[in-house]
Amino acid sequence: MTDDDRLRALLGSAFPETSLPPAPDLWPSVVARLTAPVKPSWLDVGLVAAIVTALAMVPGWLLLLAYHL
Amino acid sequence: MPDEPDPDVLRRFAQGDLAAFEALFRRFEGDVFRWTVRILRDESAAEDVLVDAFWRAYRSRARFDPSRSFGAWMRRIVTNAARDHLRKAPLRESGLPVDQLRAPARDVERDATVRLAFRRLPPKLQIVATLALVENEPYAEIADALDVPVGTVKSRVFRAVRALRKELARLGIHHD
Repeated sequence: MTDDDRLRALLGSAFPETSLPPAPDLWPSVVARLTAPVKPSWLDVGLVAAIVTALAMVPGWLLLLAYHL
Repeated sequence: MPDEPDPDVLRRFAQGDLAAFEALFRRFEGDVFRWTVRILRDESAAEDVLVDAFWRAYRSRARFDPSRSFGAWMRRIVTNAARDHLRKAPLRESGLPVDQLRAPARDVERDATVRLAFRRLPPKLQIVATLALVENEPYAEIADALDVPVGTVKSRVFRAVRALRKELARLGIHHD
Protein backbone atom coordinates (compact mmCIF):
# COMPACT_ATOMS: atom_id res chain seq x y z
CA MET A 1 0.00 0.00 0.00
CA THR A 2 1.48 3.38 -1.00
CA ASP A 3 1.42 6.54 1.12
CA ASP A 4 -1.32 7.94 -1.10
CA ASP A 5 -3.43 4.81 -0.62
CA ARG A 6 -3.01 5.04 3.15
CA LEU A 7 -4.00 8.69 3.14
CA ARG A 8 -7.07 7.92 1.01
CA ALA A 9 -8.00 5.12 3.42
CA LEU A 10 -7.76 7.54 6.35
CA LEU A 11 -9.91 10.09 4.53
CA GLY A 12 -12.37 7.40 3.46
CA SER A 13 -12.82 6.40 7.10
CA ALA A 14 -13.10 10.01 8.33
CA PHE A 15 -15.51 11.04 5.57
CA PRO A 16 -17.67 7.96 4.90
CA GLU A 17 -19.88 8.00 1.86
CA THR A 18 -23.29 9.34 2.79
CA SER A 19 -26.52 9.22 0.88
CA LEU A 20 -27.13 12.66 -0.55
CA PRO A 21 -30.38 14.22 0.65
CA PRO A 22 -33.04 15.55 -1.70
CA ALA A 23 -32.89 19.29 -2.13
CA PRO A 24 -35.43 21.16 0.04
CA ASP A 25 -37.57 23.82 -1.62
CA LEU A 26 -35.43 26.91 -1.12
CA TRP A 27 -37.09 29.11 -3.75
CA PRO A 28 -38.95 31.20 -1.12
CA SER A 29 -35.59 31.88 0.59
CA VAL A 30 -34.02 32.94 -2.71
CA VAL A 31 -36.94 35.32 -3.43
CA ALA A 32 -36.69 36.75 0.10
CA ARG A 33 -32.98 37.34 -0.41
CA LEU A 34 -33.57 39.00 -3.79
CA THR A 35 -36.18 41.37 -2.41
CA ALA A 36 -34.33 42.20 0.81
CA PRO A 37 -33.10 45.81 0.93
CA VAL A 38 -29.37 46.07 0.26
CA LYS A 39 -27.53 47.37 3.31
CA PRO A 40 -24.32 49.34 2.71
CA SER A 41 -21.30 47.57 4.15
CA TRP A 42 -19.36 49.03 7.09
CA LEU A 43 -16.46 49.47 4.69
CA ASP A 44 -18.55 51.74 2.42
CA VAL A 45 -19.87 53.75 5.38
CA GLY A 46 -16.34 54.09 6.81
CA LEU A 47 -14.93 55.18 3.47
CA VAL A 48 -17.59 57.86 2.99
CA ALA A 49 -17.08 59.08 6.58
CA ALA A 50 -13.31 59.26 6.05
CA ILE A 51 -13.70 61.25 2.81
CA VAL A 52 -16.19 63.68 4.37
CA THR A 53 -13.94 64.18 7.42
CA ALA A 54 -10.87 64.69 5.24
CA LEU A 55 -12.70 67.25 3.07
CA ALA A 56 -13.97 69.11 6.14
CA MET A 57 -10.43 69.36 7.47
CA VAL A 58 -8.75 70.17 4.15
CA PRO A 59 -11.35 71.71 1.77
CA GLY A 60 -8.68 72.14 -0.89
CA TRP A 61 -8.76 68.40 -1.49
CA LEU A 62 -12.24 68.80 -2.97
CA LEU A 63 -10.70 70.16 -6.19
CA LEU A 64 -8.25 67.25 -6.24
CA LEU A 65 -11.10 64.78 -5.71
CA ALA A 66 -13.23 66.44 -8.37
CA TYR A 67 -10.34 66.29 -10.81
CA HIS A 68 -10.02 62.51 -10.33
CA LEU A 69 -13.75 61.75 -10.55
CA MET B 1 -25.92 17.75 -14.22
CA PRO B 2 -29.41 18.32 -15.75
CA ASP B 3 -29.76 18.90 -19.49
CA GLU B 4 -29.33 22.47 -20.63
CA PRO B 5 -32.62 24.41 -20.67
CA ASP B 6 -34.29 26.03 -23.60
CA PRO B 7 -32.13 28.88 -25.02
CA ASP B 8 -35.13 31.19 -24.75
CA VAL B 9 -35.30 30.61 -20.97
CA LEU B 10 -31.58 31.41 -20.69
CA ARG B 11 -31.98 34.57 -22.75
CA ARG B 12 -34.95 35.72 -20.66
CA PHE B 13 -33.01 34.98 -17.46
CA ALA B 14 -30.10 37.10 -18.71
CA GLN B 15 -32.62 39.91 -19.27
CA GLY B 16 -33.87 39.64 -15.68
CA ASP B 17 -37.10 37.65 -16.13
CA LEU B 18 -37.88 36.25 -12.66
CA ALA B 19 -40.13 33.46 -14.04
CA ALA B 20 -37.26 32.23 -16.22
CA PHE B 21 -34.96 32.38 -13.19
CA GLU B 22 -37.43 30.28 -11.19
CA ALA B 23 -37.58 27.72 -14.01
CA LEU B 24 -33.77 27.50 -13.95
CA PHE B 25 -33.75 27.29 -10.16
CA ARG B 26 -36.24 24.38 -10.19
CA ARG B 27 -34.20 22.58 -12.81
CA PHE B 28 -30.77 23.00 -11.20
CA GLU B 29 -31.51 23.24 -7.49
CA GLY B 30 -31.04 19.51 -6.85
CA ASP B 31 -27.71 19.30 -8.65
CA VAL B 32 -26.39 22.47 -7.03
CA PHE B 33 -27.52 21.33 -3.57
CA ARG B 34 -25.90 17.90 -3.86
CA TRP B 35 -22.67 19.46 -5.17
CA THR B 36 -22.62 21.86 -2.21
CA VAL B 37 -23.33 19.12 0.35
CA ARG B 38 -20.43 17.14 -1.10
CA ILE B 39 -18.09 20.10 -0.67
CA LEU B 40 -19.27 21.17 2.78
CA ARG B 41 -20.65 17.87 4.13
CA ASP B 42 -23.15 19.92 6.09
CA GLU B 43 -26.74 20.11 4.84
CA SER B 44 -27.69 23.21 6.80
CA ALA B 45 -24.66 25.16 5.56
CA ALA B 46 -25.32 23.86 2.04
CA GLU B 47 -28.83 25.36 2.13
CA ASP B 48 -27.47 28.80 3.07
CA VAL B 49 -24.75 28.58 0.44
CA LEU B 50 -27.25 27.51 -2.22
CA VAL B 51 -29.49 30.51 -1.52
CA ASP B 52 -26.46 32.80 -1.59
CA ALA B 53 -25.25 31.26 -4.87
CA PHE B 54 -28.59 31.70 -6.68
CA TRP B 55 -28.78 35.25 -5.35
CA ARG B 56 -25.29 35.89 -6.76
CA ALA B 57 -26.32 34.29 -10.06
CA TYR B 58 -29.35 36.57 -10.41
CA ARG B 59 -27.31 39.65 -9.59
CA SER B 60 -24.69 38.64 -12.17
CA ARG B 61 -27.23 37.63 -14.82
CA ALA B 62 -26.11 40.35 -17.22
CA ARG B 63 -22.67 38.73 -17.36
CA PHE B 64 -24.11 35.30 -18.24
CA ASP B 65 -23.64 34.28 -21.86
CA PRO B 66 -26.82 32.35 -22.90
CA SER B 67 -24.79 30.37 -25.43
CA ARG B 68 -22.75 28.78 -22.59
CA SER B 69 -23.76 26.09 -20.10
CA PHE B 70 -25.92 27.39 -17.26
CA GLY B 71 -25.15 24.31 -15.15
CA ALA B 72 -21.39 24.81 -15.38
CA TRP B 73 -21.74 28.55 -14.66
CA MET B 74 -23.91 27.80 -11.62
CA ARG B 75 -21.42 25.24 -10.31
CA ARG B 76 -18.66 27.85 -10.51
CA ILE B 77 -20.76 30.34 -8.58
CA VAL B 78 -21.75 27.86 -5.87
CA THR B 79 -18.18 26.56 -5.54
CA ASN B 80 -16.99 30.13 -4.96
CA ALA B 81 -19.82 30.67 -2.46
CA ALA B 82 -18.83 27.46 -0.64
CA ARG B 83 -15.21 28.65 -0.50
CA ASP B 84 -16.33 31.98 0.96
CA HIS B 85 -18.40 30.08 3.51
CA LEU B 86 -15.38 28.00 4.54
CA ARG B 87 -13.32 31.20 4.93
CA LYS B 88 -15.87 32.72 7.28
CA ALA B 89 -17.04 29.61 9.13
CA PRO B 90 -15.37 28.99 12.48
CA LEU B 91 -13.23 25.87 12.65
CA ARG B 92 -15.34 23.17 14.25
CA GLU B 93 -15.81 19.46 14.18
CA SER B 94 -18.64 18.43 11.89
CA GLY B 95 -21.27 16.04 13.24
CA LEU B 96 -20.32 12.39 13.36
CA PRO B 97 -22.18 10.10 10.99
CA VAL B 98 -24.55 7.82 12.90
CA ASP B 99 -22.80 4.61 11.81
CA GLN B 100 -19.54 5.85 13.33
CA LEU B 101 -21.04 6.02 16.79
CA ARG B 102 -20.78 2.24 16.95
CA ALA B 103 -17.15 2.15 15.73
CA PRO B 104 -14.34 1.45 18.21
CA ALA B 105 -13.48 4.53 20.26
CA ARG B 106 -9.93 4.67 18.90
CA ASP B 107 -11.17 4.80 15.30
CA VAL B 108 -13.73 7.48 16.14
CA GLU B 109 -11.02 9.58 17.75
CA ARG B 110 -8.66 9.08 14.82
CA ASP B 111 -11.39 10.00 12.30
CA ALA B 112 -12.21 13.15 14.27
CA THR B 113 -8.51 14.10 14.22
CA VAL B 114 -8.33 13.52 10.46
CA ARG B 115 -11.40 15.74 9.95
CA LEU B 116 -9.85 18.43 12.11
CA ALA B 117 -6.62 18.33 10.10
CA PHE B 118 -8.69 18.55 6.93
CA ARG B 119 -10.66 21.56 8.17
CA ARG B 120 -7.40 23.34 8.93
CA LEU B 121 -6.44 23.37 5.25
CA PRO B 122 -6.85 26.74 3.53
CA PRO B 123 -10.36 26.81 1.93
CA LYS B 124 -9.13 26.70 -1.65
CA LEU B 125 -7.05 23.59 -0.91
CA GLN B 126 -9.84 22.09 1.21
CA ILE B 127 -12.35 22.30 -1.64
CA VAL B 128 -10.00 20.71 -4.15
CA ALA B 129 -8.97 18.01 -1.66
CA THR B 130 -12.60 17.22 -0.82
CA LEU B 131 -13.58 16.86 -4.44
CA ALA B 132 -10.45 15.01 -5.57
CA LEU B 133 -9.52 12.84 -2.58
CA VAL B 134 -12.82 12.27 -0.80
CA GLU B 135 -15.39 12.50 -3.59
CA ASN B 136 -13.06 11.18 -6.33
CA GLU B 137 -14.29 13.74 -8.86
CA PRO B 138 -12.31 13.87 -12.13
CA TYR B 139 -9.73 16.68 -12.23
CA ALA B 140 -11.35 18.10 -15.36
CA GLU B 141 -14.69 18.49 -13.59
CA ILE B 142 -13.05 20.15 -10.58
CA ALA B 143 -11.16 22.49 -12.89
CA ASP B 144 -14.41 23.44 -14.61
CA ALA B 145 -16.17 24.12 -11.29
CA LEU B 146 -13.31 26.29 -10.07
CA ASP B 147 -12.71 27.91 -13.46
CA VAL B 148 -9.00 27.10 -13.30
CA PRO B 149 -6.73 24.94 -15.53
CA VAL B 150 -6.40 21.22 -14.74
CA GLY B 151 -2.73 21.87 -13.92
CA THR B 152 -3.80 24.21 -11.12
CA VAL B 153 -6.08 21.52 -9.68
CA LYS B 154 -3.20 19.00 -9.73
CA SER B 155 -0.91 21.48 -8.03
CA ARG B 156 -3.52 22.28 -5.35
CA VAL B 157 -4.11 18.57 -4.69
CA PHE B 158 -0.36 18.10 -4.29
CA ARG B 159 -0.14 21.03 -1.87
CA ALA B 160 -3.22 19.83 0.03
CA VAL B 161 -1.77 16.33 0.46
CA ARG B 162 1.56 17.75 1.66
CA ALA B 163 -0.16 20.10 4.13
CA LEU B 164 -2.49 17.35 5.31
CA ARG B 165 0.39 14.93 5.97
CA LYS B 166 2.22 17.61 7.90
CA GLU B 167 -0.84 18.48 10.00
CA LEU B 168 -1.68 14.82 10.65
CA ALA B 169 1.87 14.19 11.82
CA ARG B 170 1.63 17.24 14.10
CA LEU B 171 -1.59 15.83 15.55
CA GLY B 172 0.08 12.48 16.15
CA ILE B 173 -1.30 10.48 13.23
CA HIS B 174 1.46 8.85 11.21
CA HIS B 175 0.02 7.04 8.23
CA ASP B 176 3.29 5.97 6.56
